[in-house]
Amino acid sequence: MSNQRVSRRQFLNYTLTGVGGFMAAGMLMPMVRFAIDPVLTAEAGGDFITTGTSEDELSDTPIRVDFTFEQVDAWYTSDVTNTAWVYLDEAGEIVALNPTCKHLGCTVSWEGRESDPNRFFCPCHNGLYEKSGKNVPGTPPTAPLDQFEARVGDDGILQLGQVVPNKIV
Amino acid sequence: MLWNAKEISLYLKEKAYIDTIIVPLLPISFSDRTKQEAEQAEFITLLTNLLERQFKGRMLLVPPFTYLSEEDAQHRLEKLQKWIQEFESRQFDHVFCLTSDSGWKEFESDLDGKLIWMPSIPLEHMEEKYKRKIVDDQVNQLVKLIVQKWQTN
Repeated sequence: MSNQRVSRRQFLNYTLTGVGGFMAAGMLMPMVRFAIDPVLTAEAGGDFITTGTSEDELSDTPIRVDFTFEQVDAWYTSDVTNTAWVYLDEAGEIVALNPTCKHLGCTVSWEGRESDPNRFFCPCHNGLYEKSGKNVPGTPPTAPLDQFEARVGDDGILQLGQVVPNKIV
Repeated sequence: MLWNAKEISLYLKEKAYIDTIIVPLLPISFSDRTKQEAEQAEFITLLTNLLERQFKGRMLLVPPFTYLSEEDAQHRLEKLQKWIQEFESRQFDHVFCLTSDSGWKEFESDLDGKLIWMPSIPLEHMEEKYKRKIVDDQVNQLVKLIVQKWQTN
């Protein structure tokens, strides 16, 4: 034992400060966590989905890339498969177009009609889009095809993200 | 379009563009065919949903025409013909009935080319990758068939 005596008053002071400190921390920590939460999620980045296609397979001709992700819709969880048409533009940038027709939501395909080479074709109402996704005037679609955010992961595999309005038209 | 509130309101707005209906025909029974019928229902449901996705803007997928397998075939046919008549009177020029039930084959001529019979594929034990490939092939066949019908009239 040290020869310094701890008085009853001191002992109670120390204990109460310690316990009180823990209680205050217990209350404050979640509050601070909530307050900085948006910052933390932003760091985690948008949710990109890894496809089964590597960067080497891409060329200036659009290819069809299917990718699957889990979608929670109310009380159903289901695997949803989406499709993108992916190619490299003149600058070598990846362009990933969402094949959902801007007219009524059918699925368009690259060179889907023989009489229209180098265009996307919608079989439902003969809608046409240029390679850039720009809608051809005189056909039913009223807006260019949407794009997926696209990037290449460290492993050289193509990753696709959110649907965004067409940025190249 | 799917038969739900959100997509039907789009249909009501854009009626002029939607001229095709697809009806799955699904049998039900509790007999030695039960398992087979469940498998057919799974396959046909998957197929019709994929088709609908492809042709969302021109095709309406209605709830399945469901019947008891023991039910009298003639009676069942009349009921389906009533459905088709109703659709045709509502400006649906193209009606497709998709089924795996071979019981419908004898009525092919009564249904006037509207019946599409697909042999059901047991997907139950199949690997995800092959499953997708096989179903995609089937869908592509149907897509071709439907586009062809659209072009002929």
